[in-house]
Amino acid sequence: MRSKSRFIGAVEIGTAKVAVLIGEMVKDGTVNLIGFGECQSHGVIKGLVTDFKSASDATHSALLIAEQNAGVKIDEVYLAQSGGHLEGFYNQAAASVNAADNTVSQLDVDTVCRLAKAKALPDGRTVVHHIRRPFQLDGKMVGSNPEHLHGQRLEVGYWTVHGSESVIANSIHVIRGFNVLVGDMILSSLASGTMMTTPQDRQHGALVIDIGAGTTDYVLYRDGGPCVTGSIPVGGSHLTNDLTLGLRVTEGQAEKLKIRHGRALVMTRDKSEKVWLNGDFAIGDRQFSRRAIELITEARVMELFEVVKKKLGAELVPELCAAGVFLTGGTSKLPAMADAATKVFEIPAVLGEMPPGMDDKLNRPQHATVLGLLHFGLQNRASGGGAGRPRSRGLLQKLFTSS
Amino acid sequence: MSAPPDDMPKTRSWRDIPQEIAPRRMSNVGRRRLTMGAVRTIATAVALGAIGWGGFEIWRTLKNDPQRLAAMSDSRPLEEIKLTTDGVLDEAWLKRTMDLAPSAGLMELDLYALRSKLTASGQVRQAVLVREFPTTLKVILEERSPVVRLKARLGGPDARTFLVAHDGTVYDGEGYETSLVRSMPWLGGVRLIREEDGFQPLPGMEQLTDLIATARNGVPRRYATWRVVSMERMSSDGQIVVQTTEVPEIIFGVREDFYSQIARMDLILAETKRRAAAPVRSIDLSVGAAQVPVALHQPSADSPDISFPR
Repeated sequence: MRSKSRFIGAVEIGTAKVAVLIGEMVKDGTVNLIGFGECQSHGVIKGLVTDFKSASDATHSALLIAEQNAGVKIDEVYLAQSGGHLEGFYNQAAASVNAADNTVSQLDVDTVCRLAKAKALPDGRTVVHHIRRPFQLDGKMVGSNPEHLHGQRLEVGYWTVHGSESVIANSIHVIRGFNVLVGDMILSSLASGTMMTTPQDRQHGALVIDIGAGTTDYVLYRDGGPCVTGSIPVGGSHLTNDLTLGLRVTEGQAEKLKIRHGRALVMTRDKSEKVWLNGDFAIGDRQFSRRAIELITEARVMELFEVVKKKLGAELVPELCAAGVFLTGGTSKLPAMADAATKVFEIPAVLGEMPPGMDDKLNRPQHATVLGLLHFGLQNRASGGGAGRPRSRGLLQKLFTSS
Repeated sequence: MSAPPDDMPKTRSWRDIPQEIAPRRMSNVGRRRLTMGAVRTIATAVALGAIGWGGFEIWRTLKNDPQRLAAMSDSRPLEEIKLTTDGVLDEAWLKRTMDLAPSAGLMELDLYALRSKLTASGQVRQAVLVREFPTTLKVILEERSPVVRLKARLGGPDARTFLVAHDGTVYDGEGYETSLVRSMPWLGGVRLIREEDGFQPLPGMEQLTDLIATARNGVPRRYATWRVVSMERMSSDGQIVVQTTEVPEIIFGVREDFYSQIARMDLILAETKRRAAAPVRSIDLSVGAAQVPVALHQPSADSPDISFPR
C-alpha cells in the first residue's frame, strides 16, 4: 500500500550527468525501483559544484523527471559524494577490557569505537564516513561484535573519510533547493562497490574502481568490508581533453573519436592506419592516425590506474585481493580497460556486472552508483551503521519538507 | 581504561551542516513544494481546529443543556408535503394515511414508519420519502394498477369490493374513477387468505392478466361484455372461465396462446351471429385448436350442439 511506503531518491550529481533513482521502501524492508530520471549535468566540474544555479537546475530537472516517472513525491534523498576534496585516514584505538572476568561488554565496545573515531580534523573539514575495520581481541581478529567474548585488550580501527565542508554544503543545498531533505550521504565508491561485488568477493578481497567523467572513485575491500576508499579528480573527460590537445580538434570531435576509436591499450601496429573524424566525406572531415588516438588514451588510462595504485600503496596486496579488480562507471566501457587494469595492478581485472534481473535501462555501468546508493543506504540503515542514523524530524518539519 | 576521556576531540559530521535554506535560494519547483507544504499544514491546522471547536461545542452543550441539541434539530415544523405519483392517489389520501400531528417537526418524522403506513394499503407498491430542508417532506409513490375487482364478505353482513393487481395483490382501491372500476370484470373462484392487515397475493394472476390484456387490446368490444372471470378450475384443469353478457360460459385454456384463443372466440361469435343461429351457451377453447366445442341454447331437443372446425 503506497500510503505506508517511503520514497527514497538516490541522487548522483556527476560531472557529465545527474542521475536520480526512486525506490519505494515498504514496511518489510524491501525496496521497489519505481522511477528513474537522468539529465545532462551543468555547473559541476570534477565532482564539485562550481555553478550553484546551473547545478540546481540540472539536478532539479532530473528529480522532476524521476518523480513524474514514478508518479510519487520523494520523501528524502540519499546523495552520492565524490570528488578530489575527499580524503581518508586510518586511526586505530585500543582499550583494556573493563570487567574483572575479562568479558567484553558493550561499554568496552563503545569506548574503543569512540576513541578510534575521535580524531580532530582541520578547520573546514567534515566527516562523511567512518568505516570500521574488524575488531581485534588480544591481537586476533573477531567478528562484527566482540561482546561477551573473553580477552584483555580490545582494538579497532576506522577508515575515516572527510571532505571539504563548503563543497559538501553546496551539494546538500542543491538538493534542499528542491525542498527535500538529504537523509544520508554515501561515498560513490561504496555505492558502486556494493553493486559490483558479492559478499564473497568482499570477503576474499576486491578492488572496485568507478571511472566517471570527472572523477575516479575506488574502494578496496578486505575481510568482508571496505578497507580503503579514495577519489581522484581524473576521469573520462580527461581522455577527451587529451585528445583535444593532442589531435587539435574540438571537444565534441574528441569525444566522438574517444568513443569510436579510443582504447585503453594500444593494439594498432600499423602507424599509417587512419580513421576518419566523421566518415561522411563532407568538407572538413579529417583523418587521424588510429595508433595516435590509442596512444593518447592508453597513456591517460595507465596514468589513472597508476595514480590509484600509488594512492593505495601498501594496502594493495595482490594476495589479499583474490577476487580481483572490478571496473565500472561510464568510462570503463572503453575497450581493453580490464586488460590495462590487469597490467597495472597485476591482479585479474574484469568489467563489473550488475546483479541478475536488473532492468535493461538501468543495467549499465554508469548507473552502478545510483543503484548502489539505494542498496547501501538501506542496508546501512537496517544495520544502524554508517555515518549515523537520520535525525528524527519534528511534525512541522515533516509537513513542510515532503509536500 | 574504563571510559573515554571527556576532552576527546569532537569530529564534525556532514550531518552537522544545517540543511535549512532560504526560500529565495530554492528553485521554482522547490518553492512550489514549500508552498504546497505550507498550504497543507494550514489546511490540516484549520481542519483540526474546526473538529476541536465542534467537539468542544457539543461537549459544552451536552454538559449544560442536553435538551438543546434535540430542540435545535426539530425546531422547524413540517409545512409542506410534496407528492409525486404515477397513479391516482392524492395529497388528501396521503395526509389521511400518514396521520401526522399538526405540529410535527421535519426532523422528528420517522420515515421508515411512514413508508410502512403507505405501503400497507396495497395500492402503493413503493414509497420514497425525502426530507427537503427546512420544512418540506417529499413523497414519491409508485402505484399498482388494478386488473379485476372482487367482492368478499369479511365476517359482516355486507360484502366489500376489492381490486386485484396483476401481481395478485388484493387491495381496497382508492381514488379510481367509477367508470374505470365498473369496466373491470369481477373475479370469481378464488379464496382470500388473510395476512397481517391484508390478504395473501392471489396465485395465477399473471396468466389472468395476460388473458385480459390480450382481450382488451385485441377485441375491445367483446371484452366490454365480460362480466365475470373465474379461476376456480385454473389449478385443477388449467382453465379460465369467462362469463359475458352474450355467452354464459367461455372456457380458455392457460396452456395455449391466449391470442389465438381469443381470435377463435371472435370468429365463432361472429359466425353464429351471421348464421342467425340460436344464442351460444358455451364455447370451450381449452381443448385445442383442432376443434372448438360450441353449445347453443336449444329451443327444441332435436337440434344438436354444433362444432366449429378449425
